[in-house]
Amino acid sequence: MSSEPLVRMRNITKRFGGVTALSGVDLDAHAGEVVAIVGDNGAGKSTLIKILTGVYQPTEGEIFLGDEKLEMASHSDAIDKGIDAVYQTLALADHLDPAANMFLGNELTTKFAGITMLDNKRMRAETERVLFERLGVRLKSMDAPTESLSGGQRQAVAIARAVYHEGLRVLVMDEPTAALGPQETARTLKLIETVKAQGLAVILISHSLDDVFQVSDRVHVQRRGKCVGVVKTADSNQQEVLGLIVGVEEAA
Amino acid sequence: MTAIDTQPRSIADRFEPYLAIIGPMVMILAILLFMGVAEPARYFRLSNLNLILLDAALYMPMAMAMTFVITQRGIDLSIGSIAALSGILMAFLIKQYGFPAWVALPIAIMLGATMGLINGLVITKFRVPDLIGTLAMDLVYRGLALVIAKGLVLARFPDLITDIGRGQIPGFVPIPVILGIATMIGGYWLLTKTYFGRYTIAIGSSPDAAEMTGIAVSRHKIYAYVLMGAAAAMAGVMLTGKLNAIQATSAPYFNLHVIAAVVVGGTSLFGGRASMLGSFAGVLLLSMMINALVTLRIEFFWQSVASGAVIVSSVALYTWMQKKDRDGSKGLFAGLHTPDGQKLMRFTAMIIGGLLLLLAVGGLLATPPAPSG
Repeated sequence: MSSEPLVRMRNITKRFGGVTALSGVDLDAHAGEVVAIVGDNGAGKSTLIKILTGVYQPTEGEIFLGDEKLEMASHSDAIDKGIDAVYQTLALADHLDPAANMFLGNELTTKFAGITMLDNKRMRAETERVLFERLGVRLKSMDAPTESLSGGQRQAVAIARAVYHEGLRVLVMDEPTAALGPQETARTLKLIETVKAQGLAVILISHSLDDVFQVSDRVHVQRRGKCVGVVKTADSNQQEVLGLIVGVEEAA
Repeated sequence: MTAIDTQPRSIADRFEPYLAIIGPMVMILAILLFMGVAEPARYFRLSNLNLILLDAALYMPMAMAMTFVITQRGIDLSIGSIAALSGILMAFLIKQYGFPAWVALPIAIMLGATMGLINGLVITKFRVPDLIGTLAMDLVYRGLALVIAKGLVLARFPDLITDIGRGQIPGFVPIPVILGIATMIGGYWLLTKTYFGRYTIAIGSSPDAAEMTGIAVSRHKIYAYVLMGAAAAMAGVMLTGKLNAIQATSAPYFNLHVIAAVVVGGTSLFGGRASMLGSFAGVLLLSMMINALVTLRIEFFWQSVASGAVIVSSVALYTWMQKKDRDGSKGLFAGLHTPDGQKLMRFTAMIIGGLLLLLAVGGLLATPPAPSG
């Protein structure tokens, strides 16, 4: 990991009125790397990734993608730059089929007699292709509503929506395994590894240290709005990270 | 590459997409069977089938539009008044101001669309909940119709209007039936092939997801209400033509009739689940039911009772069928044995007991009835 980081967040500070949610946080993520962000509730994890994905604008600090300094006014700016997020709720419309969900808000269309209409067939084919080629997932039925899919499959559809954008370079995953059973969690972690192997920088927010240690390369620990340490997963253990999260060192 | 294996889908899952259409079809079959035994000669006469279709046609445009509104988790309780007001305004334009019918007709539909637009703005921009918002606008539109028409019945319209309401292509189905079916087909196309239809399902399925994926939720909600208003106005025109008369109190039962048809057809009141074919079947079912009541010489006022019963039972049935986790329940009456169920039983017994007691007291003290006044 000697190369330049793909994403550099520098000295990020975010204040909501009188409340300082983040103060002077740095975050690096390399291409082909999973960086986990851990920390207690209110430690600033969500605020940090909302700044990275353009939902919030930092009060102070800069974000670089490669050599480019990013000025993002909205989430769609971030998507244009190649940064997207998959939220815990997945933002799926359960009654629609996977293809409709994957292209939701961004549908493929065809013209017939001058009238623009949805090209359901092509969207279905593209979804099938992306799910298999990028994520190694094959669904038994492409026209079943998304609600009938398993947790891991739903996760795959949500990730497929993000990676379908050719320019995607950074994928933020917010608590992807929080609502999943052990088997579905394993499948989701496998999806994260698949995406990482394709050269994306993956930023994973998780409360589960088991998941973090299984899939991440580095762990970024947040506490009370500050970064209290970045450790290499391979050189660390859950005990040490837990200590950083709750602040044992300081107390000792 | 690691393939995530797919879970086998149970028979119930495979069955589910067709649930919407099976429900009303079974009920239609039941009516056909019942009438086949009870009153086959009069029910299955060609002229009677024509009557059923003519009645159903009136509701088809509205059922089509209501499918979108309900799928978006909305409701519109103002359609009867929109139909009446649009019809009245068209009638005035034709009778009072001498507008040609072919101009007055599209004006009526545009006015309906405008009223739908107002509904949509009230709901999305003023944040009035749809139930209250459209109920209040129902009062407004009905009131305006009464203000404009007073007690007048406007009658006798140009051929164009009566053709739309009750014209018949010789040897074929009535013109309104063709119009109604055409709007349903158009609705099916809108639902499956356009942004509007896709976003309608997405908004109803998960408003948050729709918002997060960048869908203009408010705008698409407004579209649905505009479509609803235009469809209601269309029904107003058809009603005017069918009766060749219109008055401010016309179309009083549209709201619940249309909602009943859509819900019976399997479109979920909880949003996200739409079935245009189901709505079509639902409209047919209600018209067949009402016609059956008439054929059996049951008093007209029972229609309202029947419609209400059909709504409640079909919504309850769909809710029960869609409940994924039925493992824990031991049949329909298991709930009665829980402590809470017992309390509810005692409470119910108290109310009914009290009622019976009062009736008994009243009966004992009753004197021979005296004419009032």
